[in-house]
Amino acid sequence: MEQSVISPGNRVKGPEKETQKLKRTSNWKKYMWGYLFLVPAIVIFIIFLWVPIIKGMVYSFYNIDFVKGNTFVGFDNYVKIFNNPDLWLSVKNTLYFMFLTLVMGFWVPIAAAIAISELKFFQGFARIAAYLPFVVPGVVLYGMWRWMYDPVGPINALLGWFGADPVSFISDGRFSMISIVFMETWQQFGSAMLIYLAGVLSIPRDWYEAAEIDGAGVWSRIKYITLPSMRSLIMLMLILQIIGTSQAYQSQLALLDGGPNKATLTYALFTVKNAFTQLDYGAGTALGVLMFVVLGILGIIQFKLNREEY
Amino acid sequence: MRKFSALLMCLMLFGSLLAACGGGGGNKNTESQTNNGGAAPSNSNGGNAAQTEEPADDITQRKVTLKIHYPLPDETTLRAQEDDKIARFQAKYPNVTIVKDDWQYSVNEIGVKMASNEAPTFYNTWATEAQLLVERGWVADITELWNGWEYKDDINPVLQNQFIVDGKVYGITQNGYVTSTVVNKKLLEAKNLEIPALDWTWDDMYNVAKGAADPKKGISGIAPMGKGNEAGWNWTNFLFEAGGDIETNTDGKVTAVFNSEAGVKALDFYKKLRWEANAIPQDWALGWGDAISSFQQGRTAMVIAGAFDVVQAALNEGGMKPEDVIVYPMPAAEKGGKHYGILGGNYLVINPNATKDEQEMAFRYITFDYFTDDALKSVEDTIQARKAEGKYYIPTPLEYFSEDSEYATKIQSIYDKYDNVFKYDPNLFGLLEGKPEAQFGTQDFYATMSNVVQESFSKKGTDSKKQLDVAAQYVQENFFDKIQAQ
Repeated sequence: MEQSVISPGNRVKGPEKETQKLKRTSNWKKYMWGYLFLVPAIVIFIIFLWVPIIKGMVYSFYNIDFVKGNTFVGFDNYVKIFNNPDLWLSVKNTLYFMFLTLVMGFWVPIAAAIAISELKFFQGFARIAAYLPFVVPGVVLYGMWRWMYDPVGPINALLGWFGADPVSFISDGRFSMISIVFMETWQQFGSAMLIYLAGVLSIPRDWYEAAEIDGAGVWSRIKYITLPSMRSLIMLMLILQIIGTSQAYQSQLALLDGGPNKATLTYALFTVKNAFTQLDYGAGTALGVLMFVVLGILGIIQFKLNREEY
Repeated sequence: MRKFSALLMCLMLFGSLLAACGGGGGNKNTESQTNNGGAAPSNSNGGNAAQTEEPADDITQRKVTLKIHYPLPDETTLRAQEDDKIARFQAKYPNVTIVKDDWQYSVNEIGVKMASNEAPTFYNTWATEAQLLVERGWVADITELWNGWEYKDDINPVLQNQFIVDGKVYGITQNGYVTSTVVNKKLLEAKNLEIPALDWTWDDMYNVAKGAADPKKGISGIAPMGKGNEAGWNWTNFLFEAGGDIETNTDGKVTAVFNSEAGVKALDFYKKLRWEANAIPQDWALGWGDAISSFQQGRTAMVIAGAFDVVQAALNEGGMKPEDVIVYPMPAAEKGGKHYGILGGNYLVINPNATKDEQEMAFRYITFDYFTDDALKSVEDTIQARKAEGKYYIPTPLEYFSEDSEYATKIQSIYDKYDNVFKYDPNLFGLLEGKPEAQFGTQDFYATMSNVVQESFSKKGTDSKKQLDVAAQYVQENFFDKIQAQ
């Protein structure tokens, strides 16, 4: 026997180390191609996601001047945005928008999914009809709804039949955000509806049959079978909607540029205006970082819910 | 494997952090260039520089690539005109390679374009932007090139002065306008309204707006812009007419003064149009495009903008006849007052990141057709092309050359030959009083005033003085106090 095996420890550890090394080598060989195939995705991920995110965080501490050079300003950008009264107004408007989308829009795809699932005929047609608005391009959507909301447009004509005065849906600050939510609900409920419909259709049919035999009506079936079965899905969609609506700015920008009188100035639009209209990229990125923190927390909640679901 | 994945993830994040921090210095090369006056050579120009060869003694013998400002795809006539110019330019300068870029200047995009070094060698911009672009270092100082140009003394000084800052030249004028009111004569006739004289006043405008408005049919008497910075821009015309100003500059201290009595008078006039005459659109949140579109659709009797754009849209897109469209100066506040309108215009400016050769060639390209017979032919070709399409040619009210120059006479003789050239009332030009925009923080002022205009249109009975005081304080603290004026 060699000297090396005199110690009892050596007798045990030597082969173990060897085995671990072999295992690592074989594991590396086993997964090498997998990792190599991941490289392009990781590189793209770094360039287009992580670098901008981290760069944004770094920029939030700088006065950005892409031609003359950036200057470190510490927390000045954060102090500046916190001192801007429009920040709080935009937060308030965003929360209002989120609230309106929940009240006016969140239940619509659920109701549509349940209603369509109950259809005996034309279910396919109904699905397509409900989804169609989602494929309308933004430019067409804004033009169309601008006409719908026009003082002499169809909605006001309808109101006129009932003797009501025309309503300035767009220009009146009391209605502008509501009008945007209505328009967005019309356009977007179809895609959420398809997800809910898949959820409804995955509920075993024999549960409904058993309920029917027990004398349950439509409302009872929905209340005691459909909705409880979709609880996790609804929660997940709720979180996704909150994340999505908290970043809203497209419609507010295209239709009203944040007006009238800042009534539709959302947080994301305020960020865009700081960065691209006032060309204060430092303040813009600081606002983006704050939003990143909030959305990060919501994202973690969504991730946890997702894990519970699957 | 979990450890390996964690390690990989850490490496990724660390790499991202390094990459993110490493790029902070961005354009340090360009910093030194712009500090040297902006005309110094550089090694980067959005991909152009790599193709530019080492200098020889004569610039025409050196390979230079120009990324030029090119018309949009739907502007087929202008594109054909530009292609013709490119061919003639390359015949004279065979070593120049032309790359077409149809990016159009946008306040929201210029920062990104400069940051990414993607801006063309020269690009279009407007009179409002001079101070911003110079302050940011986004335009080259072309004083030296300008001083060496043979036609520099023949250029329209009123327009050119907009892009001369502190004695340095930063842009070349193309054309310009004095903000005007364009009237749909047909709508006035439909309501049996008397067509006012060109030398009109606010009262005349009020009466026309009130008389022409038909809210039940969705027709407004006047469509002052109510969305975006253009809302503030439209209102500023009335501020000027009332004798007011946006700001003063005393020993480098810029002070907001638009909350003056004149400002109150101008804002009160807006409120009269809205609440007393009910003459503005019910849906008044109209941007520049919306307002002009409203005019071309016959949904408003009057609109305030550069006359060229409105007439172009009304005749060539809205199908209106020249006799139905009247271009007015902005109304005077009172009889005998000045018809002040904001002086605006289109300019071409050169990218400071371009090399010295590229800058010089860009200057030669921009001025290539100025005061030449080729340009006259090009104008005539365009008029003929428009005629063949059944469209009108709308001359810009102010050109890069002086009105009384020999070149202006030549152009006019071409216009006179064709019946599809829109003709402004000759009396109009005697009444137009162009007033240059504020030198500092113009867009910030417009944005703030836009909110004031919106508040005035949406809330009845607001106190104009109070509104303007709040706006002036906001503009002063947030923008003007930060300006280092000279």
